Amino acid sequence: MEVSYYPGCSIEGVAREYGESVEAVARMLGIDLKELKDWTCCGAASAHATDDMLALALPARNLETADKTGLDLVTPCAACYSRLKHADKALRAGEKIEGVSDGYRGDFSIKHLVDFIWEELGEKAILEKLKKPLRDLKAVCYYGCLITRPPRVTDAGNPDNPESMDNILQTLGAEVKNWSYKTDCCGADHALTMPEVAWKLVQKLFDMAGEAGADAIVVACPLCHSNLDTHQEEVSAQAGKRYQIPIFYFTELMGLAFGDSGAEKWFGRHFVDPRPLLRQKGLL
Amino acid sequence: MVVGGGICGMQSALDLANSGFKVYLVEETTSIGGRMSQLDKTFPTNDCSMCMLSPKLIEVDKHLNIEILSNSQVQSVEGETGNFNVKVLKKPRYVDIEKCSSCGDCFDVCPVDLINEFEQGLNTYKAINKRYPQAIPSAVAISKSARPPCKLTCPAGCNGQGYVALISKGKYLEALDHIKQWIPLPAVLGRICHHPCEQECNRNEVDQPVAIAPLKRFAADIVRQKRKDGEIPPEEKPVIDKSKPKVAVVGAGPSGLTCAHELVKLGYPVAVFERDAAPGGQLWSAIPKYRLPKDVLAADIKDIVDLGIDLKLNAPVNGQNGLEALKKQGYKAIYLAIGAQKSRSLPIPGVDLPRVLLALDFLRDVNQGKKVDIGNRVVVIGGGNVAMDVARTARRLGAEDVTAICLECAGEMPAHPWEIEEAVAEGVKIMNSWGPTEIVSKNGSVAGVAFQKCTSVFDGEGKFSPTFDESVTTSVDGDTVIIAIGQATDLSVLPEKTGVKTTRGGWLIVDPLTLATEEEGIFAGGDGVTGPKSAVEAIKHGHEAAVSIDRYLSGLDLGEGREPKQEEPAPLPEGKHEKKPRLGTKYIALGKRLSGFDEIVTALTEEEAIKEAERCLDCGLCSECLQCVAVCQAKAIDHDMKEEEVELQVGSVVLAPGFEPFDAKIKSEYGYGRMANVLTSLDFERVLSASGPFQGQVLRLSDGRHPVKVAWIQCVGSRDQTCGRDYCSSVCCMYATKEAIIAREHESTVQPTIFYNDIRAFGKGFERYYESAKSKFGVRYVKGIPSGVKELQQSQNLLIEYTGEDGRKIQEEFDMVVLSIGLQPSASTRELAAKLGIERDRFGFCRTDELAPNITSHDGIYVAGAFDAPMDIPESVMSASSAACLAAREIADVRGTLVTEKEYPPEKDITKEEPRVGVFVCRCGSNIARVVDVPGVAEYASTLPNVVHAEENLYTCSTDTQSKIINAIKEKGLNRVVVASCSPRTHEPLFQDTIREGCLNKFLFEMANIRDQCSWVHASHMPEATKKAKDLVRMAVARATTLEPLFEHPAEVKRRGLVIGGGLSGMTAALEMAGQGYEVVLVEREKELGGNLWRIRYTADGADPQALLASLVEQVEKEPKITLYRGAEVKNISGYLGNYTAEIITKSGESINVEHGVVILATGGTEYKPAEYLYGQSDKVLTQLELEEKIAGGSDDVSKLNSVVMIQCVGSREEEHMYCSRVCCTQAVNNAIKLKELNPDTEVYILYRDIRTYGMNELLYRQAREKGVTFIRYDVENKPDVSEENGKLTVTVYDPVLGAEVELMPDMLVLSVAIRPQADAEDFASRLKLPLTQDGFYMEAHMKLRPLDFVNEGMYLCGLAHSPRFISESIVQARGAVSRALTILSRPYLMVGGVVSVVDADRCVACLTCVRSCPFGVPRINEDGVAYIEAAACQGCGICASQCPRKAITVQHYKDEQVTALTAVLAGS
Repeated sequence: MEVSYYPGCSIEGVAREYGESVEAVARMLGIDLKELKDWTCCGAASAHATDDMLALALPARNLETADKTGLDLVTPCAACYSRLKHADKALRAGEKIEGVSDGYRGDFSIKHLVDFIWEELGEKAILEKLKKPLRDLKAVCYYGCLITRPPRVTDAGNPDNPESMDNILQTLGAEVKNWSYKTDCCGADHALTMPEVAWKLVQKLFDMAGEAGADAIVVACPLCHSNLDTHQEEVSAQAGKRYQIPIFYFTELMGLAFGDSGAEKWFGRHFVDPRPLLRQKGLL
Repeated sequence: MVVGGGICGMQSALDLANSGFKVYLVEETTSIGGRMSQLDKTFPTNDCSMCMLSPKLIEVDKHLNIEILSNSQVQSVEGETGNFNVKVLKKPRYVDIEKCSSCGDCFDVCPVDLINEFEQGLNTYKAINKRYPQAIPSAVAISKSARPPCKLTCPAGCNGQGYVALISKGKYLEALDHIKQWIPLPAVLGRICHHPCEQECNRNEVDQPVAIAPLKRFAADIVRQKRKDGEIPPEEKPVIDKSKPKVAVVGAGPSGLTCAHELVKLGYPVAVFERDAAPGGQLWSAIPKYRLPKDVLAADIKDIVDLGIDLKLNAPVNGQNGLEALKKQGYKAIYLAIGAQKSRSLPIPGVDLPRVLLALDFLRDVNQGKKVDIGNRVVVIGGGNVAMDVARTARRLGAEDVTAICLECAGEMPAHPWEIEEAVAEGVKIMNSWGPTEIVSKNGSVAGVAFQKCTSVFDGEGKFSPTFDESVTTSVDGDTVIIAIGQATDLSVLPEKTGVKTTRGGWLIVDPLTLATEEEGIFAGGDGVTGPKSAVEAIKHGHEAAVSIDRYLSGLDLGEGREPKQEEPAPLPEGKHEKKPRLGTKYIALGKRLSGFDEIVTALTEEEAIKEAERCLDCGLCSECLQCVAVCQAKAIDHDMKEEEVELQVGSVVLAPGFEPFDAKIKSEYGYGRMANVLTSLDFERVLSASGPFQGQVLRLSDGRHPVKVAWIQCVGSRDQTCGRDYCSSVCCMYATKEAIIAREHESTVQPTIFYNDIRAFGKGFERYYESAKSKFGVRYVKGIPSGVKELQQSQNLLIEYTGEDGRKIQEEFDMVVLSIGLQPSASTRELAAKLGIERDRFGFCRTDELAPNITSHDGIYVAGAFDAPMDIPESVMSASSAACLAAREIADVRGTLVTEKEYPPEKDITKEEPRVGVFVCRCGSNIARVVDVPGVAEYASTLPNVVHAEENLYTCSTDTQSKIINAIKEKGLNRVVVASCSPRTHEPLFQDTIREGCLNKFLFEMANIRDQCSWVHASHMPEATKKAKDLVRMAVARATTLEPLFEHPAEVKRRGLVIGGGLSGMTAALEMAGQGYEVVLVEREKELGGNLWRIRYTADGADPQALLASLVEQVEKEPKITLYRGAEVKNISGYLGNYTAEIITKSGESINVEHGVVILATGGTEYKPAEYLYGQSDKVLTQLELEEKIAGGSDDVSKLNSVVMIQCVGSREEEHMYCSRVCCTQAVNNAIKLKELNPDTEVYILYRDIRTYGMNELLYRQAREKGVTFIRYDVENKPDVSEENGKLTVTVYDPVLGAEVELMPDMLVLSVAIRPQADAEDFASRLKLPLTQDGFYMEAHMKLRPLDFVNEGMYLCGLAHSPRFISESIVQARGAVSRALTILSRPYLMVGGVVSVVDADRCVACLTCVRSCPFGVPRINEDGVAYIEAAACQGCGICASQCPRKAITVQHYKDEQVTALTAVLAGS
């Protein structure tokens, strides 16, 4: 199955383990990721706060490339996904965007990778590759605010309770816990400018994940991951209690469950080392 | 015709039927009652909804001129007003309403539990059900969807869902009997059927199919075992009718046996001729024992043969002698079920070698226990099921190396996938895409087989046409080769000369529908016709052949009605289906499998079978298991009912289809459907209801705990653009308040909190109710709608975040959250409106003109209730009456022409007779009889004094028992009748009618309730229940002996109406009444007609009230039927219903008397003249009406205003005047918009407490905000302060949102002042003896269901005299009041008397106790100085009789001795 692939900048930097696990899992599932030629930054972090036109033009440029291939477009980053969908809606509405030529056909769909895997491949394809069920791994799935919201842009059917990641993890054999905080904001955008606000939001997620009985949080966004994974010491200091919660990319766990040999290497790049937990569960 | 059977439709229908029209009441569901039937209590009186509704239901049900069409939908309305042709689709109920007595015996046997929609899914009910106990029509109904795929897929038509459902309830014998209707070999087919049903099972979409076939095996095996153990009696045998023609079946395979089975059950003498030594055909000879143990086969066949079949073994039917001989022996019909018993061979070298075997011969030999030497290596040629059987049998015979090799590639193999899997598991090697070329020999023995590559098997059209690549070859070594490539039939059965034709391939040719061959009387089916197919397909042929033979022998047409029907299978039922692993296919250990011929699939245990059966998703809803048919003693159930279209001629149509609640899942942030303790308000009504799933206990769904903190969230699906519902649903604030109060009444520990936007308590009595919620019941109101609900996983408690008064965020934990969901037109209503071409607004509500309410875009079709706009029950009831008034006016000239009145034979005079009582004791199916000893009670009754006849009946209410009662009256000379059965509430009128038909006065009837109050409540105490039933009967008999005939007599109705008040309401009422052909006297005390309407210059929709006023005045003045008195007053009204006299003082001071039958009071209200806020002191302070005057007058000043402040609730919602004036918020918002339109720079501030722009007025509120009108909230404790200095106004107000005082300096201050009752209302009311509310408005008979009636019958009210309201609402009330009045005016006379109070003048001392105690003001002291009670006015409540200290008053039918007779015999026991 061929798809256009927009990895986004984080994948090449802070989220290298995400990028590698995405590629590994795609390979095993038979998804042929065709990286968009000459792709550029989508402007997620700053453009939309600075310049409305730039916020559309950057992703639109990438969409023009995808349009030519006609293949469905997949991205693993929630922020990239959001920007691409915004630009797509604007182009479809016939908005003029600087630097983008007319004639956008748009006969392809844009999907976040987590939705793509569940909706296009589903349970059967995952079960076929499953080698090491994630038995006893108690986790909550955290989608963050951008995969489903705003629904008029994302077209999400159930913006408050997405389920694709939960379904994937459940199929992998994990004990996925229900919780009400799947799409609460983690404050990643403010992680640098107003860190104490972000830490408070993160702390709530940690508390509620604990309340739900989870040992780990699974994400599908590099920004969420870095915000949740890297600041646990600061969050602990601010909250006055110690947090040490492994944060996984869902693809890492897929890779692990599919028996990919690279998995352990990915986990080594996390701030909060998830390997003790995985060893304790007999998964490493 | 009235469409919609809710409270609104019922009211319309009753008004119309009671005023002389025949009414069709069309209801979409199986029962009338609508949403009101689901509600617990109602606001603001906390009356029980069902208690109020139930009498209405019965009135509609019993009404001779209302015909209920339940389960029906209007398809089209054609023609024109006065002459419509309506097509109605009546959906099948599957139950005959006339026969069903609603006893509920069927509920107990129905195996299918469905989500109970009436109970909002909080529990389940059966597929045969009654929506609620009081439902009318009082008959059960069956919920069916399309047939399930399992049934439709089965070649034999076996109903999988049916027997699976029965197994799930442990009803194994019933399940087996059900299976045997289609499958006479259930234990066999349960093992070897290729179960296409499972492939189509909808459960495939969820996880795996239900183990339908293994469950069949389970049912067959367990019943066989239980029969063996004597727990279940043996099967009943049919009676064979020796006089019927004999039938011969040739071949005892599945097809032949099925045909024989069916025919023997029809009573035919049947002989089966089998050439082999054992019956079963290929089941016996070809199917290996590890799949089908021989004892199982033998037992199934024995069951068939034991029914009385003459089975002849070793009896081949051959050639010339065969068929002819059979005919000669007297067999009139013959079924050839000869199978396909021969194996085909291959045209390749070497096939003649020893140890080259044919599959069927090999299997037959092994099955017969012959020793077959095959060596160690076996090559099986073929890829079908037989090849797999052969290969696996070979493995069991010890061959270690078994290879099955076939032409087809892996995906194309004809064998079923599970057969291949099982074979592979047993070590069979499969080689695909090879074609044999030669069987290689060595020394005259088989050495192996040579193959060439097969490149394709089928041609482009899918025909068998293999192609090979000769260059690619292989070979497989083997000691034995078994050929399994196909079968043929043995045609030796046919004589040389025969009419039976065969195909070139050697198969018998038959008519595909009837299975008749071309030779008379000879039929054929099974593999001999179709070629090798499955057993279940052979069985199907057996059935069809039996049908044909029966028809042939009866001389009927063979083919009629047998064309196959295409039915769409039922889809996977909606909703989330939990995954549950399939149980059913468990194998014995592999080693054990290969070491012999033990059956390889283990049996389901009983526990497993039930669990597996429970996995069935009930796709067809009703499983058609037919248990209900078996148990129904009234024979009321008919599963073959079809939908039918009826055409009706009607004059006008009222649409009252009601609403559906908003789907709370759309607002997914509130977690409905996901979080167990989040309910909708309608769910909560069922939680609160005493007859609901929790018997009225407030419980949490997650853990059954009693919740303490309960939150309501308002406006879910209302006032919300994000979900396309910008309007206000009008009722939610009040129902939430009610639910909070009732929840606290049920459990005092409940702490309710209501999160709201504005509390819209705008109706009559609502504000006081709201205040009492806060002050008396501790309901906490928090302003602000939460953005979402979060759930805690441990406690399943719910978190709500909101902003506190101080502006800080608060997070609070609740045990339960109730979502106050809005109202919307249902999808089916939208469809109906579209079909009828009715215009709707963007939300789907019916479009009506503001000054012409109820009138749709389609002439002659009127709208009523919540399809017009969201509204509460009283508004719906008023709307219903208003629409009925319009619908009647169109056809007023034919009033009374289609009504039915019952005629009775003359009554017998029994006054001189001794009491002769007949007692009829009802079994009510098994409802009473299973608890109470009914024959014993009847026997006992016959021993009681004065009883001359007693009997028991299955259903006393059935038509045949009615005739029995009438006959008994005549034959036994009964003069009193007692029925011991159910509730007099529902059945007394029926029995009274029956004895009246039997020439007895209807008051000579008495009832004992031995069901609802005995068998239903004492089911666990049977002997005591019987004793109680006897007591009840004894009491009823004792009272019956004291009963006396009572007579009603006609009293003439003065067919003229009096309307008091000539404003909008009064004029409308007068014109409507005149328009219906009745004389009207209209009295207006002012010199001009018009009242308050003079002052209203525009409406929110931009309509012109002044044009309306002018037109009304002109019409009134022109109308010859209206006698108009201007400047006149009604001084007094005397008389009673139908016969009133009014004293009118005319303009000139003259007093005249007018006789009339009814009164409509439309005396209006008045604008409050405020004493506060400098009104009257500053010319800058106006009322809204005064501002309206200025705006409408085009005054320049208003467009030049810089700043305007409006203050709401001036004179409303305060201690002294605790009511909302309803119109002022809309009025203010509308005027603010007008000011903004005149000059967008005018700053407009509205100081408000709650903005109450209910319904569509909400859109105006939004518009005002969009135009920049500023809304500032104030609290009543902290009212705005107004001062004027140097001609400048200053308004100071504390804004709780800012937390600061705001100072405004407007050019103009506009006061939204209250609407007050007329100043002299109290005086007028006391003269007319009419009641007033605390606030001084007139009080209706009942707030919910009689909003336009006074308690005093024949008197009605409308307009501002009732309560503050808009123009359109006043028009609705005025018409509604006329509709109510017409129920009296349309009758020439009323029947009076009967159960009324009578005064014994000799005993009366005129103490006035009765005068004071009568709630209806009927008794008076007459000219003779004693109390007089007018029979026509008396309600028969008996209060006066119980109060009278001299015992001078008695209520007929409830005299003291009649009441004491009951208790005396009870005490005497």
